This record gives sequence, structure tokens and C-alpha cells, in this order.
Amino acid sequence: MNDNVFKKLKILSDAAKYDVSCVSSGVERKNNTVGGIGNASSAGICHTWAADGRCISLLKILLTNDCIYDCSYCLNRVTNPVERATFTPEEVAELTIQFYRRNYIEGLFLSSAVEKSPDNTMENIYRVLELLRYKYNFWGYVHVKVIPGASPEIIQKTGMLADRMSVNIELPTRESLRMLAPQKKIESIINPMSLINNEITRTIEDKSHFTSTPRFVPGGQSTQMIIGATPDSDKTILGLSQNLYERFNMKRVFFSAYVPVISSPNLPAISTMPPLLREHRLYQADWLMRFYYFHSDELFTEIEQNLDLEFDPKIMYALRNIDKFPIEINKASYEELLRIPGLGVTSARRIIRERKNAELSYDSLKKMKTVLKRAKYFITVKGRYYGNVKIEPEIIKRELKQQEIQKQLSIFDVL
Amino acid sequence: MDYLYDGTFEGFLTCIYYHYKAEKASGIYDASYYQQSMLKACKVIETDIEKARIVSDAIIRKISREAYVDIYYCYLSNNEQRENIILEFLIFAFRYGRKTMNFYTHEKVLPLNEASLKVSREVHKFLGILRFSEAGGVLFSKFSPDNDILILLADHFADRYKFERFIIYDEKRKKALVYTDELWEIKENINIENIEYSENEKLIQDLWKQYFTDLAIKERTNLNLQFQFVPARYRKNMAEFK
Repeated sequence: MNDNVFKKLKILSDAAKYDVSCVSSGVERKNNTVGGIGNASSAGICHTWAADGRCISLLKILLTNDCIYDCSYCLNRVTNPVERATFTPEEVAELTIQFYRRNYIEGLFLSSAVEKSPDNTMENIYRVLELLRYKYNFWGYVHVKVIPGASPEIIQKTGMLADRMSVNIELPTRESLRMLAPQKKIESIINPMSLINNEITRTIEDKSHFTSTPRFVPGGQSTQMIIGATPDSDKTILGLSQNLYERFNMKRVFFSAYVPVISSPNLPAISTMPPLLREHRLYQADWLMRFYYFHSDELFTEIEQNLDLEFDPKIMYALRNIDKFPIEINKASYEELLRIPGLGVTSARRIIRERKNAELSYDSLKKMKTVLKRAKYFITVKGRYYGNVKIEPEIIKRELKQQEIQKQLSIFDVL
Repeated sequence: MDYLYDGTFEGFLTCIYYHYKAEKASGIYDASYYQQSMLKACKVIETDIEKARIVSDAIIRKISREAYVDIYYCYLSNNEQRENIILEFLIFAFRYGRKTMNFYTHEKVLPLNEASLKVSREVHKFLGILRFSEAGGVLFSKFSPDNDILILLADHFADRYKFERFIIYDEKRKKALVYTDELWEIKENINIENIEYSENEKLIQDLWKQYFTDLAIKERTNLNLQFQFVPARYRKNMAEFK
């Protein structure tokens, strides 16, 4: 490796950094090959945290930033005069191994601009995987991006070697896509998602008959979309997410607050701040859909098509449905417990477990480090209400606002 | 009667054995840190593997395997009261039996849970933030964990770097995990200094540092959040923070 690699890494990591996903979870694999290096841990492992507070788990780079497309939100679009660079597959493999041996990373997240053609680019991505798995005997985590428009055969063979694949949906609606990425057709995004999902299902079924069958992307598929570049509402965004989870068994849908890097008549002005708080609320809502049994529709009303920026979505849900509260901690089901603002999965499980032995008191909830600051307005313990105010949305809101002031200051300090 | 043990887990379990079979323990302490007092009697307990095994079997059979793991993790923690947290827990748990661990917040159970949780969190963190450097074909790593977690890292890295040779050195406790020929062992009381790193080590570290710096999105800088995840005390052995 030489100085040239420094320069390439600079250009090609810079171009990849807006990709949000850096997850290395979902695959448990021991190092079983002779002479092999690497394994995968199903919980995922973060290796460091960058100055923006984001976890770094994978070496996240583009194979090339040389692109034939002209998407107006993208720095690498063909008409933008940026410096171009292309890694050779050998360079990527070598870099991955050297970083991995030093425990800097959990594996590789490889994406690419579309150089020459989708098939050509996908073939190059496949070559990296082939090198890593067979020449270097590397069994750490690899996430690769699917290039929209690549042929099913190449996607198929790449997926047999990757842990996770993702096709970026890019934008929440057909209209937005047409406006900002006119060369990308929605079909070229949906078709590979569907192909990946079918392959996953097929290899899981095969595995029940022949244990030696390798699994197609055992870590599943994910996708991401840009938030705030177009006027789409949160309801549209989360409705689409729900659809993606249900139709394609997505493991994750990521949101990326649009950072204005380009001026264009179709895009927010360069001086616009990235909508970080909105992105945060969307992730909270996404969490509710994946682990808390919420449906996206429950988070909105006829009038309110966007999430509240002041309060988190679970509080907003509780305040709009105040007739369902307070919930008795000693009687509620697991699903009901999860609807209480401030109570998470860990707390709910602990409550269920501990009350098998004896009824819970308010004091034991405190000791569990349950966030009673918010929860106390929405629960009773042994029949007693600890909120000290009337159970009315406006009053509870006022109380919560007092508490939130401190927290919000810290968020806005950062902005 | 205060019981003193040699600092090993088996030694500690031997004390528990005598607590039940001989005189009750008023406290259990590591002999090398014990402050003698005029008012309290104490006795040095000799480690007995057989007696330790009787105790560990009883814990697993009468309480649960989960409790046994929590006890071991608590023993590895840096909590100054760790031996007595376990002693108090066991006195309660041997009476209560298999349902003990449902009592997450009971005053005899919570301290054990909290100590154990701290240890497992630190282990998980170091699976990620431990850094190796190459020195003559050996991967070398040093760290200063809050808790004595070296042994809990062994299996993970032995599998990950199965065909490498590596050393993980706890510079605080002066002990090292040495892995070679697919086997590991822990060596106590050693000093590792003046390592001679391989020629291309600096090059790889510089590449990593550059990558680490460039990946942060400037518009989203949030150093407080970064400090929450990587506290200052962990940073000195991480290449990207040097």
C-alpha cells in the first residue's frame, strides 16, 4: 500500500459517509475454515465513535465515485466537478484485512457509484467479495449495496457471499424520485428488493432439507431514504417504511437527514440546516413499529401528518389516546406495558419477571431504573396514581414541557 | 470471623464453603488488601478446588446457572464490596431457591445484578474498542479496563484470530492473555514494555486515523455524544485518538 491509497481512501470514504447504515448485526458465525480469519456476532459490535457521535462498525467506502448518473441531490453526479477515484478489488480486500486484524472494524460495507454500467459495477463488487471470502479466507461481516439495474444473476451470486445487502430507495415517493433522480426508475429499486427477499426465503427453506446449503444474505436486507430534500410528510415516510417491512421483510429502514451540499432549484437552499430532530423522531417512530407493536397509522391523525418535534411519538400517542391510560403495572400485558411512555423493552421484561414473585411497588420500579419521569403520568402501581396532576393531556403536556426544557437545550446546542 | 482468600475465584468459593460448614463469615476479603483490625478476628483460608466445586455445583443446582454467571462477573468487578455482595446474595438465594433471579430489585439481589451488568457492558465495549498492533508477526494489544475482564475476552478473540498469534496485556493488573497455536493462557505479574512494531504498522494506523477523521459529518458534530460512548480514560490505547 502506498500514498495513492491514502488519496483514494480520502475521496472514497468521504463519498460514502452520508450512508447511514453501519450495522454489523444479525449474523452469528464462528471461524470454521482452516486458515480463516474472522467471525460475526449477532448483536453487532461498534468499534469506535466518530466526532459526530455516530458508531463506526464497518469500513464504509465506495469502490468508485465515478458515476454515469446525474441525481441532483448527489455529490458524485456526473455533472459535478469533483475529483474521481477508483479502488482495485485487491486494494479494498487488503485494507479490510489490515483494519480487521487490528480490531478497528467488524467488516466491510461496500457501495459504489455506477461506473460504465450497473452490471459492470456489480461485477466489480462481486470480485471484492470473492477475493475476501476465498483468497483471504475472511469470515467477518460484509454488507454490499445492490446497484439498481444490475442483472439478477450477478445479484444472486453476490448475495451468496454477503451478509447483508441493501438497495437504496432514496426518496419516499415516485414523484420525488422523478424530480431528483430522473434516471432511476422505481422498478429498478423494487425488483432487486423482491429478488433478495425471495432468495432469502428460498435458501431458508432449502436449509431445512439440506443443512449444508449456504444462506443467502443471512443478515437480511435494509434500505435508506433521504429526509427533508422533498416535501413528503412523515406519514408518507413511515407508511412506506411499514410497507417495506411487511412486503420485503426488511431488517432496517434508515433515514438520512438531507445535508444540503449542492444548489439546485429543486432542492432546499445550501444554508438550510439538516433536519436532525425530525430524523431523530422518525427513528423513534421506526423503533415503535419494530419493537413496540405500533402500526404507522396509529402515530398520525387526519390533521397531523407529521410527528411532533417537541414530544417523542410515544408520548404523543399516549396523550391523544389518554382514555387508554393510566395502565396498572401489576396487571398489564407485555404489549400494554410497551405502550407506556418511558418504558422500554428491558423494563417491560423485568416487570413481567419480577411480578411473578410478588406485586411491584413504585419503589421497586425506581430501582429498575425505569424512566418514571415520563411514565408516572401514565401508570398506576397497586391502584395508586403517582403523577400528582389530573390525567388530562394539556396538564400532562405542561408538566412534561418543564422537564423537556433541559433536554432540548442540549439538542439545540448542537444544532 | 472475617475470612481471607488468595484472590482466586476458587479461593473465594472455598470461603463460602467454610461459611456454611464451619463458622459463619462476617466478611470475605482478598488477603493482600485486608486491613487488620484490633476488634475483628480473621482467618486465612487455603484454597481447596474440591470444596470450591461443591459450592459452584450447589449454586447452579439450587439457584441457577444465570446466578452463577452473575456471581462470577461480580467477582471480576472493581466493586470494593464485591465479595460481600456475593456473600449476602448467597445467604438470601440459598434460602429462596430457583426463583431468586426474578427478584431483580431485591436489596440482596440488585447489587449483584448491577455489578455484573457493569462487567458485561465493559466486556462488550472492549470487544469493539480493543486495538491491536503488529509486532513481528504477533498482534499486540494493551488496555486498562475498570474491571478484571481479560479472561472474558479470550474466547471471542481466539475465534476471530484463530490462526494468528496475539497478546492482550492488562497494563493495570500486569497480566496478559497469550494466544498461540490455537490455545490461550493467562500470565500473571508480567511487564511488557518497549514493543518494536512492524514496519508498516504506522502506515496502517495513519490510514485508519484519516478514515476515522474524514467519516465524521461536520454539520453533525457532537463531541458530548462521542465522549458518552468513548470515555476519555479508554482513549489512550486507541490509535484514532492518539
